[in-house]
Formats: sequence, structure tokens, C-alpha cells
Amino acid sequence: MEIIDMLSISFMQRAIIGCLLLAINFGLYGVFIIPRKMGFMADGISHASLLGIACGLFIGINPIIPAVLLAAFLGFLLASFADSPKVTSDGLIGIFLSGGMSGAIIIMTFMPGYRPDLFSYLFGNLLSIQNSDIYALAIFSIFTIIGFKKQWRALVISTIHIDLSRVINLPTTQSKYFLFISTSIGLILGVKLLGVILVSALLIIPVMIANQYATSFKSTLLITQFSGIFSALMGIILAYIFDLPPGPTIALLLVALFIFSILQTKLLK
Amino acid sequence: MIKTDLKYNSDHVNIVECHDISLFRNTNEVLFEASCCIPRNSLTFIVGENGTGKSSLAQTILGLLPVDDGSICLHSESNKKLILGYVPQSIDLPKHFQMTVSEYLKYSAEVQSKDIKDALAKVDFPLIHIESRITELSGGQLQKLLLAAELYRKPDVLFLDEPLANVDDASEKHIIDVILEIKNQGVTIAIITHDWQMVSSYADHVICLNKNFACTTSSSCVCKNSLSKVNIKNIQKVTPDPEHMHDGFCYIENI
Repeated sequence: MEIIDMLSISFMQRAIIGCLLLAINFGLYGVFIIPRKMGFMADGISHASLLGIACGLFIGINPIIPAVLLAAFLGFLLASFADSPKVTSDGLIGIFLSGGMSGAIIIMTFMPGYRPDLFSYLFGNLLSIQNSDIYALAIFSIFTIIGFKKQWRALVISTIHIDLSRVINLPTTQSKYFLFISTSIGLILGVKLLGVILVSALLIIPVMIANQYATSFKSTLLITQFSGIFSALMGIILAYIFDLPPGPTIALLLVALFIFSILQTKLLK
Repeated sequence: MIKTDLKYNSDHVNIVECHDISLFRNTNEVLFEASCCIPRNSLTFIVGENGTGKSSLAQTILGLLPVDDGSICLHSESNKKLILGYVPQSIDLPKHFQMTVSEYLKYSAEVQSKDIKDALAKVDFPLIHIESRITELSGGQLQKLLLAAELYRKPDVLFLDEPLANVDDASEKHIIDVILEIKNQGVTIAIITHDWQMVSSYADHVICLNKNFACTTSSSCVCKNSLSKVNIKNIQKVTPDPEHMHDGFCYIENI
């Protein structure tokens, strides 16, 4: 009964649709980001985006707008330096993280009083999702899926071996920029629901779970999507029932699934 | 960026021509004003000691490395871009990317499902591994898989980097037969190798890179000495344009 009641509440409907869209998008990013050893990117970009959020709150505009712009710029930088012999990607992400967080904290010191809205961005809040957030996420998802359709082969082959992708004349550079920028924007659009601290869990852990079972690229995709969607929906439901923040609930559920997958595959061996 | 000049001239004897190309990595000189060509429908070998820039030359022609100076001309037979193929000696596959052999062929060369077995059988790839993950393949099996994909793409010029380095004796013979077969079908093949026996048996044309000695003047030319070891009598060393010959680069043809 409680679940039926929950589904009739408009903010929960928005949260469920939002989580579904995020899980689908993140599942697509994750299968390319994790094999490229760029998982840390999710934490770096989301934490750095706190600077954009703090700026938005400080000047009194929707904080997601400056955060998205900042994330897109950082994604662009990450793609630009991806092949640099002198700037390593993990080092660059570390700079984004510490630079963004530091900037955000400095700005926050100029904002007096207790800011409950800031905690919503840190850990996610079911109540904070507006219709406009869902529309933005839906439009972004359409662009993402069109982008993936166009870049799919280039993304797959350049993940395996970048030289082969270039010899085949696939749009290797274009696909790299698409992947890094759209992943960065997607992470920020997930911040309201999942929070800056834990949004990366939905990008990283489903792929880690899939890697325990998958024997092909197709099965990796399917298991990633399934575990992401299942955890996001279950997390939202549990967060509502037990009045918990959604970000940590979904992240804990994913961690539990990952531990289960490790134990099960070890036992199966 | 690479300065490639696509020309449509089926009568041109050379399918690839490099004019005075220089290539630097950081400040290290990899190639300096190197000029060479790959004749159309030839089996060309790129030889030389370690570090002389064999792979760099191939990768420069393939557009994988930017040239710092000079130009590369690719002469197409028709009014379309040349299809270049490349099989590296080895590749570092991402460990956590789960992809099967059949999926790899579909993505890399758009091989149809019905053609997968034929494509693999052509290079003597064990069909039992058709649904194995590519990360689980041995070095030789992976090289055969890469070759199968490139052959399916029907390239005009196919670059092979040490194609026999990881394969067993039985497969070696098979792969050589495949190389000769596709050459007879009109494909130009450029092979990077240290296998002088192979060079002496099959070469139509040799590009020899030599960092230390000028082969035009020195008796200690590595290429010349190595070819002598395998009892090739009629090495004809040609300098097509003496003005463009520089120390450290020798050019041998008509073996």
C-alpha cells in the first residue's frame, strides 16, 4: 500500500523518472569511462561542480546552471589533455577536485547563516526535484542517446585501441569530447537527486558489478543497465519509506550489490 | 598535422610517397628528411635496427603521428580515399573491457555474422575461441584476430608490424600464404620486420632505416650486411634522387 501511495505523490513521480533517466545515461557513460580508467573523473567533476553551485547560490540564480557550465568546461579540459604526455588525467582530476572544492568553501564563507539547500546538493534530496529538472534531464537524455548512436562504434573501438580507431577513420577525437563533456553534464544533472558526494556511485558501481558476470560487451551493457536501474529505483523507494537521503541509500545499495557479486562469483569459481 | 596529398592517378607506380619527412618526439629526432616510396601492389619490407624509426615511419604514413616537416602522397586509383590497414605487433587491451572475438570483428570491420567464421578461418584463428573474450587471447591469437579484421576491410595498403612475431610455426606458413594471396589480389603490403629470411624470400622492395651509417658510403651498412648474411647476391642499392639522400637513411630496391 505504501508503495502505491508513494507513486501517487508528484515529487516521488519526478524522483523516480529522474533516477530512471540518470541510471540509463550513467550506464552508457560507465561502460566507456571505467575501462579507460577514468572512474575518478566522476568524483572529480561532481566535487568541483560545488564551486558552480556555490556561485549560483551566492549570486541568487539556479545553481545547476553555473555548475553545468563549469562541468562542461572541465569535461572539455579533460578531453583536451587526455593524450598529453605531461599532464596525467588522474592528476588533472585531482586539481579539479581540490580547486573546485576550495573555491566553493571560500565562497561559502561569504554566505552567512545555515544553508540547508547546500546540504541538499551535497547528499541529494527527493523533495528538491522540480518539473524543470525532469524536462532538462529528459532533453539531455535525448541528446545523449542521439550522440551515442552516432559515436557508438568510435567509442567502442577507441576504448580498445585508439590507433586502430584512427586508422579506420572513425571520429575518435569527436567521440572523446562527446563522452567527457556529456558525462560531466550528466553528473551535474544528477546532483539534485543523488548529491555531489555520491553521484559518482551510479556511474561507477553498476559497471563494476557487470564486470563480475559479463562475458561480452553486450552482456556488460545489459547488466550495467539492470543493476543501475534496479539500485536507483530501490534506493528511491527505501529513501522514501525510511525517510533517508536518496544519494547515500542508492550508493549503499550499489555497494551491497557489488559485494554480493564479488562473493557470488568467487563462490561460483 | 600530417601533410597528406591525395592524388588520383592509377598509373602512378608508387601508391605511397614520402618526401623529406622529419619527425620529432619531444626533442628527439626520429626521422630526418626521409624520402621513400611504397610501389603499388608490392610486398615492401621496412627493416632496420631497433630505434631507427620503422614503426614511426609506418605510423606517420598511417596518419597516427604528425609529421614535423615534409609531405606524404597517397596515390589513389579511383576518386576516393585510400583505405589503409594496420596490424600492430601487440596492443594493450583494457583489462576490464569485456568483448568477444565475434563482437570485435563486428565493431572493428563491420563483419556480418554469417561471415565471421570465414574471416577467422582465413587467418587460421582457432574457431573454438569465437566467443572468447579478446583479453583472454594469446599474443598470436590476438594478432590473427587483428589481421582478420583488417583483411575484411579490404585495404588498399596494409601495414603489418612484425606479423610473425607471436605466431607458431604452423600458423607462420599460413599467414605468409595469406599475405601472398592478398598481394596477388592487388593489395599493397608493407611489413615491418627483423626477419631477414622473410625479407630475402618474399621482398619486392625494401626500405631500410639506418641511424648510424650512411649506406651509400659505408661498408658497415646494417641492411646490406644483414641481407648478405642470407646470401642475397643481387642487392641493388638505388638512390633515386641523390640530392635527397641523407646520412642515416638508405633505400634499397629490386632485390
